[in-house]
Amino acid sequence: MAEGDVVDLYEYEAKRIFAEYGITVPPSVRVTKPAELRKVHFGYPLTLKCQVLSGGRGKAGGIQFAKDLKEGEALAEKLLAMTIKGSKTESILVEPKVSIAREMYMAVTLDRASGCPVFIAASEGGIEIESNENIITSIVQYPFQPFMGRELARRMGLEGALLNKVGDVAAKLFKCFEELDLDLAEINPLIITGGGEVLALDGKMTVNDDSLPRQKRFAGWAEKHMTDLPVRERQSKQLGLNLVELDGNIGIMCNGAGMTMATMDMVKNFGGQPGNFLDAGGGSDSEKTLAGLEIIHDNPNVKVILLNILGGITACDEVAIALVEFMKRHPQRKMIVRLRGNNQDIAEKMLAESGTKLYPDLEDAVKAAVAAAK
Amino acid sequence: MILVNKDTKILVQGATGKMGAAHSKRMLAYGTKLVGGVTPGRGGEKIPGTDVPVFDTVKAAVDKTGATTSVIFVPPYLVLDAGCEAIDAGVSLLVVITEGIPPQDTSKLVAYARAKGVKMVGPNCPGVITPEETLLGILPGSIFKKGPVGMVSKSGTLTYEIALALSDANLGQSTCVGIGGDPVKGMEYPEVLTAFNNDPDTEVIVMIGEIGGSAEEEAAEFIKQNIKKPVVAYIAGQTAPPGKRMGHAGAIISGGKGTAESKMKALKAAGVEVALTPKEVAEKVIALSKQLARK
Repeated sequence: MAEGDVVDLYEYEAKRIFAEYGITVPPSVRVTKPAELRKVHFGYPLTLKCQVLSGGRGKAGGIQFAKDLKEGEALAEKLLAMTIKGSKTESILVEPKVSIAREMYMAVTLDRASGCPVFIAASEGGIEIESNENIITSIVQYPFQPFMGRELARRMGLEGALLNKVGDVAAKLFKCFEELDLDLAEINPLIITGGGEVLALDGKMTVNDDSLPRQKRFAGWAEKHMTDLPVRERQSKQLGLNLVELDGNIGIMCNGAGMTMATMDMVKNFGGQPGNFLDAGGGSDSEKTLAGLEIIHDNPNVKVILLNILGGITACDEVAIALVEFMKRHPQRKMIVRLRGNNQDIAEKMLAESGTKLYPDLEDAVKAAVAAAK
Repeated sequence: MILVNKDTKILVQGATGKMGAAHSKRMLAYGTKLVGGVTPGRGGEKIPGTDVPVFDTVKAAVDKTGATTSVIFVPPYLVLDAGCEAIDAGVSLLVVITEGIPPQDTSKLVAYARAKGVKMVGPNCPGVITPEETLLGILPGSIFKKGPVGMVSKSGTLTYEIALALSDANLGQSTCVGIGGDPVKGMEYPEVLTAFNNDPDTEVIVMIGEIGGSAEEEAAEFIKQNIKKPVVAYIAGQTAPPGKRMGHAGAIISGGKGTAESKMKALKAAGVEVALTPKEVAEKVIALSKQLARK
């Protein structure tokens, strides 16, 4: 379920947490300048890994091996300048090169269908988990008990000391998933070394947005990990508005996620191009509504703003207050307004005074917006 | 009607908070049999602006009033506790309005409710209305009319939009259930669809879905096997870009899965009438009910 979230952790952050929970990780040093490679306390060859939040790092050349300091510094310089799929390298994680006898995969997430946590594991060939056919899933019934980890390890085909070791990793992974309110805790790959040791070689964690206020250790992390979001989407997030920007020229603001998506769909169906999705949420007051309108106004691609409010818990007069103020600030802005529901009559009166035309029917409003954007 | 009617005795947990108090008043004005509020430490008071008594615990409220249903408005991090309290006190239906609950809390609450045989609607939902009888939650009552259309929806405002178009055409609703847009939730489509299928007041079913997950595809298969009444469906997010969360926690196309296209295709294959716009939903329902009237 860790999809499109903003609080994905960097590998080095995830590994620090693994280590805290007793999952073995390789020794490592995080560097932000090539010269810092001199403080690496383990021997060469070294692995240098870009710390980015995007996937596909290995394929993009974000993981390199150095045989000595000179090569390491040159590679570090190159890696620090890399941007992978829009995610800028934050630092480099340096580790000794490890001998790998077997690569596995293990993750815990929430399963939508059953509503329960689920282990996802593969006993070989970790990396390409999406295309791996040997995937094992195991639904967890509350409360979790360590035997569930051992059963998972058995199903992964492990035996003897390795069964116990991997079962133990599963139990520890579940503990950090649960205690830290993660949407995803993933070890990819989970390796068995030439010496028979079980190591988390790479890791990913996604912290659940709604849990951030109660997870004090992540205080302030949302801002730090939102750097890859476009500026207006980040602003919206801080205001408690849901914005997704698109390529078109019709700015859209509605109350409710379903209504906003439906309005986007209708714009497209009637031949227009949606410029954004902006859900002001239920019960938004005039201040929040105004902030939302200003954010859409700031998008240079937007030619016309379509405001569609069906007031249930949102009061139409609160929306009208925001609209009157917005029109005063930006008299040239083309607006198409559909406003119905709670306190509609008061809102109509206020807006009639300011000369704004209201469309009671949603389809009429969408058609008018499409025409205005041409 | 399904789930609730005019005689259903309701409690509100979090009744002295801003949202809880405001919506308690609106529910009472609608005619809901709201018999008690619960706020720990505030027992003996009244829900602000009403004569409804407040109790310290759900057990005390249930013992005194005989309530069978609880509507939860408490803040997100208190919902798991509040929900378990209501289940242990013996209610048979929970309606969770609160938004922003950590999904692992929801997961634990849903598991507990199932284990105890308690129905749960939500979280992050507008609630349930049986028009002209009872309203639980935050739905705008004036939009709804009594009639033969059963509605089940992930989206609050789209429910209002479609109910408004139906009511304008003088076609009312038996019960409308907002199941919410969170990825982990209590009642899913099949349970609500079955209830409508067995409900003598419901003639046509409207199902409103959105991108993300595979609940709509699973519902399509379920409808094909089990539902005898006509179903009209609408899926929001036909133009949503992949990998972006569209307002609801569950509304995201991920790894090419959860698209509107896939859901609409599955529903069509199951014999469901799929509308492209909210207005078309109303038009299709009106046409279907005219056909049924001729039979």
